[in-house]
Amino acid sequence: MGGLTMNTRVNPDFEKELQKYGKGNWNECFHCGNCTAICPLSEDGFLFPRNSIRTLQMGLEKKLETSIEPWLCYYCGDCSETCPRDANPGELMMALRRYLTTRYDWTGLSKKFYTSAVWEYAAIAIIALLVIVSFLVFLPLRPDAALMVNESGGVMINSLVAGVSPDRFVTLIEYGDWLMAVIVGGLLITNIFNMYYKTIIADKTVKIPLSAYFKEFWQLIYNFVTQASFSKCEKRSYWLGHLLLMTGYTIMFIIVVVFLPYFQIEEVVPVWHWQRLLGYYATFGILFFLGIVIFQRLRKNPITMKFSHASDWIFIIMLALTTLTGIILHIFRLAGMVEATYYTYIIHLAVLVPMIVIEVPFSKWSHLAYRPFAIYFSKLKLATLKEKSVRKLAPAIS
Amino acid sequence: MEEKRIGVYVCWCGTNIAMMVDVKDVSKEMEKLPGVVLAKNYKYMCSDPGQDMIIKDIKKYNLDRIVVAACSPRIHEITFRNALENAGLNPYMLQMANISEQDSWVHTDRIEATRKAKSLVAAAIRRVIHHKPLKKRIVNVHPNTLIIGGGVAGMSAALELSEAGKKSFLIEKSDQLGGTAAKLKLSFPYLNDVVNDISNLIKRVEKSEHIQVILNAEVQEIHGFIGNFNGIVKTTDEKEYSIEFGNTIVATGLKSFDAGKLKNYGYWKYSEVITSIEFELLVKQGVVVNKKGIVPENIAIIHCAGSRNENYNNYCSRTCCMSALKYANQLRNLLPDANIFEMYADMRTFGRGCEELYTSTSRKGIMFLMFDQRAELPLIKEDERGNGVVIEFKELLSGEEIQVPADLVILMVGMEAHENAKSVSHLSGISMDSNGFFIEKHPKLDPVATTTDGVYVVGSCQAPKDIPDSVSQAKAAVARILATILRGTVEVEVTTAEINADICCGCQFCISVCPYGANSFDAANDVSVVNEVLCKGCGTCATACPSGAISTKHFTDEQILSQIEGLMAKVHELEELETN
Repeated sequence: MGGLTMNTRVNPDFEKELQKYGKGNWNECFHCGNCTAICPLSEDGFLFPRNSIRTLQMGLEKKLETSIEPWLCYYCGDCSETCPRDANPGELMMALRRYLTTRYDWTGLSKKFYTSAVWEYAAIAIIALLVIVSFLVFLPLRPDAALMVNESGGVMINSLVAGVSPDRFVTLIEYGDWLMAVIVGGLLITNIFNMYYKTIIADKTVKIPLSAYFKEFWQLIYNFVTQASFSKCEKRSYWLGHLLLMTGYTIMFIIVVVFLPYFQIEEVVPVWHWQRLLGYYATFGILFFLGIVIFQRLRKNPITMKFSHASDWIFIIMLALTTLTGIILHIFRLAGMVEATYYTYIIHLAVLVPMIVIEVPFSKWSHLAYRPFAIYFSKLKLATLKEKSVRKLAPAIS
Repeated sequence: MEEKRIGVYVCWCGTNIAMMVDVKDVSKEMEKLPGVVLAKNYKYMCSDPGQDMIIKDIKKYNLDRIVVAACSPRIHEITFRNALENAGLNPYMLQMANISEQDSWVHTDRIEATRKAKSLVAAAIRRVIHHKPLKKRIVNVHPNTLIIGGGVAGMSAALELSEAGKKSFLIEKSDQLGGTAAKLKLSFPYLNDVVNDISNLIKRVEKSEHIQVILNAEVQEIHGFIGNFNGIVKTTDEKEYSIEFGNTIVATGLKSFDAGKLKNYGYWKYSEVITSIEFELLVKQGVVVNKKGIVPENIAIIHCAGSRNENYNNYCSRTCCMSALKYANQLRNLLPDANIFEMYADMRTFGRGCEELYTSTSRKGIMFLMFDQRAELPLIKEDERGNGVVIEFKELLSGEEIQVPADLVILMVGMEAHENAKSVSHLSGISMDSNGFFIEKHPKLDPVATTTDGVYVVGSCQAPKDIPDSVSQAKAAVARILATILRGTVEVEVTTAEINADICCGCQFCISVCPYGANSFDAANDVSVVNEVLCKGCGTCATACPSGAISTKHFTDEQILSQIEGLMAKVHELEELETN
């Protein structure tokens, strides 16, 4: 973005700091601009990734902290493949997304998790333990649990706990869901506001009219649902794979949080029931994507999978464990294995809860909010700039 | 008057000429002109078969004058003169018409270009009619050489002459040999210690029995011409040497750009700001501190100080980029934790090993920042946040206005010509360019000789240069000089001015205009006389002479007017003209 800017001081140490968030030979870049030229998402007003590399090389933290560009990149890897110096510009955008996540998070926990795997493991372990202990202490398995099998031989999942009626059990879990959603959502919303402050309010060069917020609002929803921007990358299969994961995950999330009383029921519904179909779709989508990503990360190929940050593996493992325990839970239920169902249920939650509590506001999952918002913000800026230039240039050039 | 027998040869130059000029038509038309015995065209006149054709024709048809329509006489006049000589004809009976650079290369209309070629060749034919045989002149060569300047270039030349057992006078203005190179610690691109190399060079010079070193001395006067110079050298303690020599090497070196002229850099204002020369001194002493005596933590190296800038010097000083990278390496070794900033305008690391130096330096944790040399220079200000200064500028690769903190700033000052270049130029009869650097005879084909025969320019007095380039140039000049010493004689120019003593009125105007000091006054006869050895045949005196007493051999009024006449007339008009 042009306009008058304050002098900012260079910082040679910043590059070392950023290496904690990703690995790349970014100082190798000699600014040929091939990366920016090949990127289908880079456009006038938001040119990247070369510009971001330069800003990093000079250590202009403020400039990086207020940039939207890293979120506009979906990491197809074309830039890194094209780079004549193997400077890995794509991985820089990835590292910057991790860095920005820590900058938006006001609690400071995100920075701890991203820069220290030990912190993240500890946090996950504590939350998991809390879930397990709460269950074992407050919701223990009832002594006559073995009887809780319905006429089709499936486990009556809501009737396994001692001293609590099935309806009350579902409500308790639902309350837990909502509590988690409120905490996580609250954190995420404040972080998004922080992002909004840094990228929009702090940028005095562009003044966005109120009307633009309404006019461009559809971009936010549209891009969240379709990830249309990702589909502009040359490698469309990446977009498809990502969409599969995202829809699967979102469907599962909505079912579990919003529709829990309709989902977690005593009877076993037929295979073609909407519940099971959606569940199978989500499971397939997540597993398919996870399988590919794990394979690629282990092979360090393609280039986008060459470097794996600790947070990448933690995310993959947590999601895989959640899915696997979910599948096992489903099988145990159908097979009428009461005790196994109860304990798997606890383990399932002991993985699921920390994954959501840690990943969504503080780590990798936060991009589900930052990306569509970044696109929304960028469209706001572009629309404003366009209007400005049209006004300035009209009527000679339109 | 006897009939002139002219042979005309039109060259195709492959397709260079033939593509734009109908060479067959030109030769056919030229055959009709008075005095022309034959006109031929051929693919490559300068080739051996081409020359043989001319030689055979001269003998067979008894030709006495030759016109070659081909390229510039700068390229092949000598070739064809030799051909004439081989055929037993005086080489000056040749005239060339340039239908390449002056015709086919610069036109796009074949009909017009062919017409122009005919005019040019016709002009050459008209001119050659008036050519007269001229005799070559030969003079002896004194085996001694005068070398002005005791830097690396001058010393290398002296040692090379000494190898051949030839004596040289090495005149140095200061009290020690070594010049600018003696101020350096390391050389680029291999970062070798250069201190020993230079002191060894000095020792060898001092030991040589063939080199007479005169320190604290300046050349006062030089007279004479190639092979036969004499001069006076005077030391600061008023000692005078009268010397004789056959050749002169000018190796007066360079002067550093005055950093104080760069207002934005505050060289006199801030004790953090030093020049590259001052930095060399610091590393030689092994202690890098700013003028406050503080060991720096943030070091900025600013390239192009005074170079490549229309407000200072337009030219590139050629060595500073590499020196700056050398400094970054030296600093990285001496101060491993310091932040080093290379602020460059364009990185120009040409030559063997230099791009590699750039690459390896860029991997040593040094921040490279680009500024726009055409915009305002970076501004050095006092740092409000710290003790040092802060450099503000717009970084070109990002477009960002940035600040670079520094407690040591090294200005890469460029090379300039010495302020006394003008007096050296007058002394030795060589010319300077607008920057005060001496001009070589030909920028490509004769880079060490000058337009004054027997005077050579080597090293940074000719243009900014590094050590190897200066040494190569010095040795090349010596090769040229040794060739003349070995032969013992040299041919000198015959196209000199000629004064008709009967017409000369003795006004001496010709003496005042001669740039080579070739004219002098014969008081006994009250006329001006030309020293044919010094005369370059530039024609200035001939044009200046109010009584028309002076003509230039091979460039007589008659020859030039006939050429113009041939150029202006239409071909059919020329056909009707009498031969004489």
